Amino acid sequence: MPDKQLNPARVPDALRLFSLLFFAGALVFALVATLVGDVFFLRLATEALIFGGLALSVDLLLGRVGLLPLGQALFFGLGAYVSALVLKEWQASFWLSLVVSLLASALAGLVGGIIAIRSKGVYFALISFGLAQVVSKVVFNTRELGASDGIIGVPGAVVVPGLDSTAPTGFFLVTLAVIFLIYLGLRYLMDTPFGRQLSAIRTNEDRVPFLGFDPWRYKLLAFVGAACIAGVSGALYPMLRGFVSPELMFFQVSGNAVINVIVGGAGTLIGPLYGSALLTGLRSVVGSFTAHHQIIIGLLFVVVVIMFPRGLIGYLTPLLQRRLEARRSRHQQGEQ
Amino acid sequence: MKTKMIPTLMAAAAFTAGAYAQTGPIRIGVVTPLSGTYAGIGQQVKWGLDLAAKEINASGGVSGRQIELIYEDEEANPAVAVQKAEKLFQVSKVDFLTGTVNSGSTLAVGQVAERNNRLIATTVSFADSITADKCSPNVFRVNARAGMQSAALADWMASTKPNANVFYLGPDYEMGRSTVAAFKSAAEGKGAKTVGEVFAPLDNKDYSPFFGQMRSARPSVIYTSVAGNDTVRLFTQMAEFGLSRNVQVVGASGTVTSQNLQAIGKAADGFVTGVGYSPNIDNADNKKFVASFEAANKAQPDLYGADSYGVLFFYKAAVEKAKSTDTDKVREAMRGIQWSTPQGIKTMRAGDHQAMQDMYAVRVNGGKFEIVGKVAAAAAIGPDSCTKF
Amino acid sequence: MTEALEWLQFVLAPQMINGLSIGVAVVLMALGLTIIFGLLDVINMAHGEFYAIGAYLAVALLGLGLSFWWALALTPMLMAVLGYATERGLIQRVFHSKDRHTLTLLLTFGLAIVLEDVLKIIFGANPLRVETPITGGSELFGLFFPNYRLFVMVAGGLLIAAVWVLVFRTSLGAIVRAAAFDRHMSASLGVPVSRVYAATFAFGVALAGLAGVLLAPIYSVFPTMGRDFVLIAFSVVIIGGMGSIKGAVLAGLLLTQVQSISSLFISPVWNDPLLFGIMVLVLMWRPRGLFGKLGHA
Repeated sequence: MPDKQLNPARVPDALRLFSLLFFAGALVFALVATLVGDVFFLRLATEALIFGGLALSVDLLLGRVGLLPLGQALFFGLGAYVSALVLKEWQASFWLSLVVSLLASALAGLVGGIIAIRSKGVYFALISFGLAQVVSKVVFNTRELGASDGIIGVPGAVVVPGLDSTAPTGFFLVTLAVIFLIYLGLRYLMDTPFGRQLSAIRTNEDRVPFLGFDPWRYKLLAFVGAACIAGVSGALYPMLRGFVSPELMFFQVSGNAVINVIVGGAGTLIGPLYGSALLTGLRSVVGSFTAHHQIIIGLLFVVVVIMFPRGLIGYLTPLLQRRLEARRSRHQQGEQ
Repeated sequence: MKTKMIPTLMAAAAFTAGAYAQTGPIRIGVVTPLSGTYAGIGQQVKWGLDLAAKEINASGGVSGRQIELIYEDEEANPAVAVQKAEKLFQVSKVDFLTGTVNSGSTLAVGQVAERNNRLIATTVSFADSITADKCSPNVFRVNARAGMQSAALADWMASTKPNANVFYLGPDYEMGRSTVAAFKSAAEGKGAKTVGEVFAPLDNKDYSPFFGQMRSARPSVIYTSVAGNDTVRLFTQMAEFGLSRNVQVVGASGTVTSQNLQAIGKAADGFVTGVGYSPNIDNADNKKFVASFEAANKAQPDLYGADSYGVLFFYKAAVEKAKSTDTDKVREAMRGIQWSTPQGIKTMRAGDHQAMQDMYAVRVNGGKFEIVGKVAAAAAIGPDSCTKF
Repeated sequence: MTEALEWLQFVLAPQMINGLSIGVAVVLMALGLTIIFGLLDVINMAHGEFYAIGAYLAVALLGLGLSFWWALALTPMLMAVLGYATERGLIQRVFHSKDRHTLTLLLTFGLAIVLEDVLKIIFGANPLRVETPITGGSELFGLFFPNYRLFVMVAGGLLIAAVWVLVFRTSLGAIVRAAAFDRHMSASLGVPVSRVYAATFAFGVALAGLAGVLLAPIYSVFPTMGRDFVLIAFSVVIIGGMGSIKGAVLAGLLLTQVQSISSLFISPVWNDPLLFGIMVLVLMWRPRGLFGKLGHA
């Protein structure tokens, strides 16, 4: 018991359980889908994972630093376009494309961060929104980037000889691995002094300088990190679908990512992944039944914000945690 | 071991699907915007397709098989269109797909069709590239493309206003610019002079900043390629400022359509465009089509409704000629085929999968689209620049 | 010399006057937004949708046979009721949590999505027309201006002045400013703070709806019209200082002038990026905007 109080950054067992459930569940899904010979649902799930990566990048900023980004699609779309260009014009290599997209996103994140990080709260949200609007408009009008039609004819990216991104199961597993690594990386980061700094900034930014740290530097690093995560996730998109279009940078994508994070559970890191999976599936299913899917998602979101602001995982975790601890103390009492 | 199971299972699935496919209904997927800014166009597409399916099914179907239409909403977003198209091909196992509206969606869905070895046809997208530099062996177009529309309009303008001074105003994005460029070259080729060219942002609210320039250029013709809500604002504001007096306003086919005609009201009177369809086309097929359409939907058909109506007859003719729904056989049959539509007989050019049809110059008057000129199919179509097949 | 004068008269002046008519519209939108933020600390991302609802209400009222002037008078009242209900029913529920800023932003964002689709369901996706109540134009300094636009400028100007007077010269305004400055103190002085909050939100929403009606004949009515003014209204409010009425008016008029005049030299496609660039620069220099908050300045 005292152990836990001294080390509050330790991940609750319940959260760990949920993470395990997610990734194990994904593997089971892949197995079942492959046995059935499905292609569509594997690709849909891959797409859900890709947008899950974007949701992770939003959660890093929103849940961990306390900044609400309304234009994260900028980096996602940037990663997608860079990846498409590399695959189509240079070499259809998975690794090359990821590396180049990572570098491009880091650079863009640095530039964007320097512009945006000095602001807080709604100012930050609006600058982030405005940045995405401006860049997406530029891309929309640039003929060399395919203008409003985007770029088609992107070949499959070769991961290892024999496996490229057109293979539904293979690429699903590759994407799952990428997202898993990003998730692990973020989890680990939260336990480091850097992660604690971010928590401190979220809790009370004004106090941080008095402790001897410059919040600006940490926020900028977090912003660049989030940009990289978004960019790498975006890079996977043209590998899956074979094309990119300016709509990938539009506000709808940023907005959907924020909704995914809030519904899943901001700050939990695994919550946004759940949120993305659930809502991607929901959007696809509801969209087949009615043209008014926007209003259904919108209402769901409003209800969550009012009644369950901590999101799905945010609410389930303490419940499960209590149950787990009750069981553990019963065990310990039983042993005595 | 697992990798060997997949092809076996897929082959089994394909066989059963194939066997079923030859006797059950023919499934046709429709990926069209049913929500969002283009929902009005998607509505016309749906109305046209539903009417055609009903008529074809009532008269015995295609090769004796009934047509089943399966709709999905693409929200005018290529990313969604691709996902929905894949669902239709993979899960609903459609034989053919149509309905995409914006050219980005058509191009992206065309790729999905190639991957799934199926054919698609567009009835709305008019970007030249779809049957030119970005052509695909699995993509067909039954509606007129931008170049054909410009040809009809330029022809009319040369005959009614020879050597006119033309001012161009377009929305600043790829479609808007290329439409203006296409018409400009067609018009200048017939003697017109350009006195000004401006591009306004897409979704621009206020066009009054451009009116000073427009007025001082003293054009006799103003050409615009704005569409949808932008047209409503441009035309009402032009009328407000008295700019449409003594000036002939012409534009792209998408500028004034049944979706925004009512909102523009009187300000649209006198507008002329080049287009492949008007409800006023004077032949028996069209009169019957317009009557049935109005009876079923309480609205007049526009070019989107008419071309969507015609695409099912195109498919029917090809399948019956090929005596099969197999992709390669149907593609062969489609090349060069002729079929009858409310606009007359259309021919599918084999070289680039572009339909050839007579084009009309049409004037808006009191809510009606009057025909004021006509250009024959061969003259309107332009060269075949598709080199991929 | 005469060329310069001619340029001033026939090119610059009409551009500036057009900019003024756009500016009045933007200020009306920004006013509601800044008042809501200044008092309630609420970022109303659904403000654009309230503007759209106002325009659609006018369409509906006109459809019932009322004249434009009746629609102009009734719509703000109906919008105020809607605003009051929204504040009481939705905003209050997240108002007292510690993440208020983020939650209200998200809530109004979700509300905007829902409202836009509701408008589409009720009225359809196609654009609608509102007839201009004052037709014809006048000659001013040798230039032609539509009468209705002149009316909008004048009416808008009067409205802005009225809001100013209301907030800074009446006891009602004093109550509102007091509640913004220190709600606990005002409450202990007997000010019904929660009702003041709801009423202020209603007022901001009514302003947006009124702007919607006024501008409908010029800009037409369609479901996504809420997005027309959102970016520029927020930029104006941020540059002027969130919560500052003076800031909203000055920034609104100034920025629209900048946009109008700059479109003489660079393509208007760069209007939005230009505005955004100005916003970023202002924030770097003065992170709170040009002027202070309601009640504080």
